[in-house]
Amino acid sequence: MKKWMIYAAIGLALYAVPWIFPNSYYIHMAQGFLYTYIVVVGLNFLVGLSGQLSLGHAGFLAIGGYTIALLTNAGVPFLGGLIAAMVACAIAGAVVAMLSLRAKGPYLAMVTIAFGLLVEIIANRWVDVTGGPAGLYLSDPNLFGFKMGVVEYYWFIALVTILVTVLTDNLFTSRIGRVFRAIGNSEVASATVGVNVRNWKVLAFAISAVIAGIGGALFAFQNAYINSDSFTWDRSILFLIGVIVGGSGTRLGPVIGTVIIFLLPQWVQSLYDYHSLIFGAILLLSLILLPDGIVGGFNRLRHKNKNVKQVTIDNELQKASNQVTWAAERSQTVLNVQKAVMDFGGYRAVDEVDFQLNGPEVRGLIGPNGSGKSTTVNLLTGVYLPTSGNILWKDRDVTSFSPHQMATAGITRTFQNLQLFQELTVVQNVMVGFHLHYRTGFVANLLHTRGFHQEEQRFETEALRLLSFVGLAEKAYEQAGNLSYGEQRLVEIARAMAVKPQLLILDEPAAGASQYEVEKIMKVIRNLKEIGISIILVEHHMEIVMNVCDNITVLDFGKKIAEGDPAHIQNHPHVIEAYLGGEEVTKLVVGK
Amino acid sequence: MLQAIVSGLIVGSIYAIIAQGYYITYITTRTMNFGQGDFLMVGSLLGLTSLTTMMAAGINPLVALLITMIVISGLTAILGWGLERIAIRPLNNNFMSIAWILSTVAVSMMLRNIAMLIWGRNVIPFPSPFGNEVLRFAGVGITMHELFVAVCAILIMACLFIFLKKSMLGKALAAVAFNPDAASLMGINPRMMAILAFALSSVLAGIGGILVGPITNTAFYMGATLGLKAFAAAIIGGLDNPMGILIGGLLLGVIEQVIALGDSAYKDASAFLLILLVLIFMPQGLMGKKVKEKF
Repeated sequence: MKKWMIYAAIGLALYAVPWIFPNSYYIHMAQGFLYTYIVVVGLNFLVGLSGQLSLGHAGFLAIGGYTIALLTNAGVPFLGGLIAAMVACAIAGAVVAMLSLRAKGPYLAMVTIAFGLLVEIIANRWVDVTGGPAGLYLSDPNLFGFKMGVVEYYWFIALVTILVTVLTDNLFTSRIGRVFRAIGNSEVASATVGVNVRNWKVLAFAISAVIAGIGGALFAFQNAYINSDSFTWDRSILFLIGVIVGGSGTRLGPVIGTVIIFLLPQWVQSLYDYHSLIFGAILLLSLILLPDGIVGGFNRLRHKNKNVKQVTIDNELQKASNQVTWAAERSQTVLNVQKAVMDFGGYRAVDEVDFQLNGPEVRGLIGPNGSGKSTTVNLLTGVYLPTSGNILWKDRDVTSFSPHQMATAGITRTFQNLQLFQELTVVQNVMVGFHLHYRTGFVANLLHTRGFHQEEQRFETEALRLLSFVGLAEKAYEQAGNLSYGEQRLVEIARAMAVKPQLLILDEPAAGASQYEVEKIMKVIRNLKEIGISIILVEHHMEIVMNVCDNITVLDFGKKIAEGDPAHIQNHPHVIEAYLGGEEVTKLVVGK
Repeated sequence: MLQAIVSGLIVGSIYAIIAQGYYITYITTRTMNFGQGDFLMVGSLLGLTSLTTMMAAGINPLVALLITMIVISGLTAILGWGLERIAIRPLNNNFMSIAWILSTVAVSMMLRNIAMLIWGRNVIPFPSPFGNEVLRFAGVGITMHELFVAVCAILIMACLFIFLKKSMLGKALAAVAFNPDAASLMGINPRMMAILAFALSSVLAGIGGILVGPITNTAFYMGATLGLKAFAAAIIGGLDNPMGILIGGLLLGVIEQVIALGDSAYKDASAFLLILLVLIFMPQGLMGKKVKEKF
């Protein structure tokens, strides 16, 4: 309820502006501020939330602006043009995202730069359509036959601003925002809990582009005139400055950012010749001194003095935690790996490995360093595509499945090199794990419907239960990145359990864990087996391996050298040789 | 057509020179100077000033050119060192992996503004010290200056390759690129190497500025497009492959000039279209290395 009052207050304040500043210059400025703010909000969504970068956002502004301009000049009503502009930007954003999916780092930056500059060049040179630098003249904005003057148009922009703010705010705090954040933190971990990373990245770009397009469309009608000079590369950079200096990923950041990139130049108009110098200095200083931006830095100060939400572990939670179950079909979970081969260049990391898993069992996968264990895990979870060979899962060929498809099929994993969503809280990490089990759609999350609230509540409780099962309920609301190494491993296990898999692959879960945590991990493994989950356990910690595994597969130099129950493996000469080397050692150890 | 290819190769070789600057800093620090183009602009404008002053003082144009190139190299090297100190090193702990893009852009904005205050807003013609004489080979016109650019480009590339592959310092740079921790255990100071990389990269931009000046003429805003195109060349070729960058630069130059034959309006567009095409099919660039992430 409180949230709505804040929005209402802001709405009232925006409504009152024309009376406070009864001067068309100021109203004009307020319009400018609001559409700039809208664009920054959109870019913040992309940069701050999903961790992608766009150095060509002015391109979307241009697409939005020209779409509405050309359509209204062709006789389409204003609102229709606005919607068309949004659609056009959504498509353009999706295309840019798809182009940049395979590119990373500087390559990704280049794709967005190229996009922005291409749009700029087209706007500039395709004079027949865009008017080029001479520009296009538009009629006054017209809402259902009502002609909007400066003040009315300002109110219209203010209304759109509020809508955009409320809706993006909703997305930020919904599971949509959570998934975007997760992707920004670790793409591979998001994929292994079932997030189709590619589609989500495209979605993030499209949303951001739509918001930028709205800004562009509103801008076009501000002066009823647009020309190609408004959509330069410098503008794209300016928006990015707004996001970064304000505080990327924060919800108030865009407001502060817009004040700096829009109002500041108005205040120091007399220093027009020094604007780049001032902005350059502001950006550089804020990057060095306030890496989280103004709002981010402020939040950090505030959080230092604030205690995180405490979880009271009531008996019920505790009791429930002792029997974490899910309706695992007790079907025969059969994994069949046939002659799997993985080549890296000339190096064969996995060499014709065969093994089968019949029904719920705990299978140890051991071998000296560099024997191909982690590569095998990567093959089984779709992170790598095998060079040859087949992987059958419940008689289905899953060889070429991607990680999220594997998760959907019921296979998930934890990581040897931790892949937690560091910026999310512990409970949010686990909630992302429930990704495949959420039923509410995009619209419900956008509008924060009743169903959305119920679902959030339900999965939060379930997540807490899982956390209390691994013994971390007290830390549920701490940032995952702040936990100790062993605790982070437990969070990973809880997150993987949230996927409700039928085959769980644990990649060295006990590395760096304390004795207490090792016991926790053993308890988790046993419990999972009890409810019919198969487990593949990659581990160096022999105490765990020998105690919990039903069968053990041993790899060395990418080849399977032994398989059998723990007792068999312990005395297997090849295994001892692989671990300790040479015949003489074998004699010493086995005594034969 | 042949004319277009020749001028394309000339322009392309300048792109390649600037782009090698991206390569050097990228391999040593995983960062680049996004304001490389504005460093080029500084080199170009400073070069123009020093050249015209010296020529006005009656010094032989060739001597003046040589002195200018040495002076500019020194100045841009200092600029590169400064950049590393204020815009790269302080960001080492920034949570955003892309912070360096913005910090170098910030520096370039400031440089551009300062240049505008010093040299004004107008385009300044940059007369070539070699005059405007056009030589003709088999119907292809080439100015003395273009010939000079070609010779310089070959020299610079040769020196660079020898430096990177053969000299001790070049190997140290490569070592830092490969594994900074191991390199520092071997007594190589990665910070010194980062400074060296940025200084070298800036010198390349500065020299590129002197070379490109008479071809494009100079103004405070000249850097943005050139820097981006050189970046495009580096991306097309593959950021971690100097040979690829050379080829990428030449390819970009030639394609631009050939397209300009048909419709000069879309010359600039062609460069960026080319990038998109290359990156769609080869996200590592034409000759970049594929890296498999390990989990």
